[in-house]
Amino acid sequence: MNKAIKEKLEATFKDIQVSIPEDSKITITAESDSVPAILTFLKDAGFNHLALISAVDWIEENCFELCFILTSYIQNDDEVTSRQRLHIILKTPIPREKPQFKTVIGIFPNAEPYEREMHELFGIKFEGHPRLTPLLLEREYKIPPFRKDFDTRKYVEEVFDKIPLVDNKDK
Amino acid sequence: MDRNQITKWLKAPAKMANKYSLHAIYFCTGCGIIEVPPVITSRWDAERFGVIPVATPRQANLFLITGYVSVKTLRAIIRTYEQMPEPKYTVGFGSCPINGGMYWDSYNTIKHLDKYIPIDGWIAGCMPRPEAIFIAVTHLWTLIDKEMANGYIRYRENYKSYRRNQESALGKLEWPPLFLVSNESQGNEQ
Repeated sequence: MNKAIKEKLEATFKDIQVSIPEDSKITITAESDSVPAILTFLKDAGFNHLALISAVDWIEENCFELCFILTSYIQNDDEVTSRQRLHIILKTPIPREKPQFKTVIGIFPNAEPYEREMHELFGIKFEGHPRLTPLLLEREYKIPPFRKDFDTRKYVEEVFDKIPLVDNKDK
Repeated sequence: MDRNQITKWLKAPAKMANKYSLHAIYFCTGCGIIEVPPVITSRWDAERFGVIPVATPRQANLFLITGYVSVKTLRAIIRTYEQMPEPKYTVGFGSCPINGGMYWDSYNTIKHLDKYIPIDGWIAGCMPRPEAIFIAVTHLWTLIDKEMANGYIRYRENYKSYRRNQESALGKLEWPPLFLVSNESQGNEQ
């Protein structure tokens, strides 16, 4: 079942690399422009559940890598007869200096909180997102805290350790 | 009722009533709250010690802070603590409120909870056993007897410092000060 989908993908899209690291996984590496088309294609092919969007900070290669993990609840496609659930991991690099990406809410509506979270923790801007307001964090950070150049120990020393203890006078 | 304690009851009935009816606010801050359901149910029946969970802070006088405190949770903790009627007692549960625990270098978890609200006692451990809660409760009884569980009095006296620390962690607070904050009153107390 893996190979059928792999051949179908390679026939439809150019400039993508498809690999099969495990029996139940397919990894696709694509350019960021073709991601919405690939997501639509996969959704039509039965992978209608977006399990996660996450980002990886490759600081040496100077890029973020967005990962979309897709799977399906029911696999009733003719080509997919196995009972084993297939996961598709779609990876795309985006530049670190100008981290921008087009939102995929139009394809998968449940992408909204994931995109908000990544905007907050990695500083990736999603064009067309209706509300990129803070989701989890309360404080403001100069560098988004999940980036690799954010030094948590230094931050803790500068902020939380600087707050003095309250000296309670014994009465 | 213990016959030995009759004199104590006659001397300070309100204090004894407070001591034996600790109403704990059921507030879950972190992983430590998984120890509380067995404590309040039949396995380690907490009502033997007069500890009972209540729904709202307005009925509570014991605040168990269970587990790590993120910055967002700190805001809720302060609001809950300020709503509780006096006398109120706070117990930090687990090693994370004491000094950060395993989150000592986290970007979003506060260390040293006693910088923000006064704490009457600590239960160390990660996780503490449910029995540790009862040991803490019996210690708290002793402290109440000796009038050493005075966190709410310290909060009133040093409110300016506590409020300053809360503001430096959370930014500007959207609720008004609980007590009068002015240099004059602080100076008089010293």
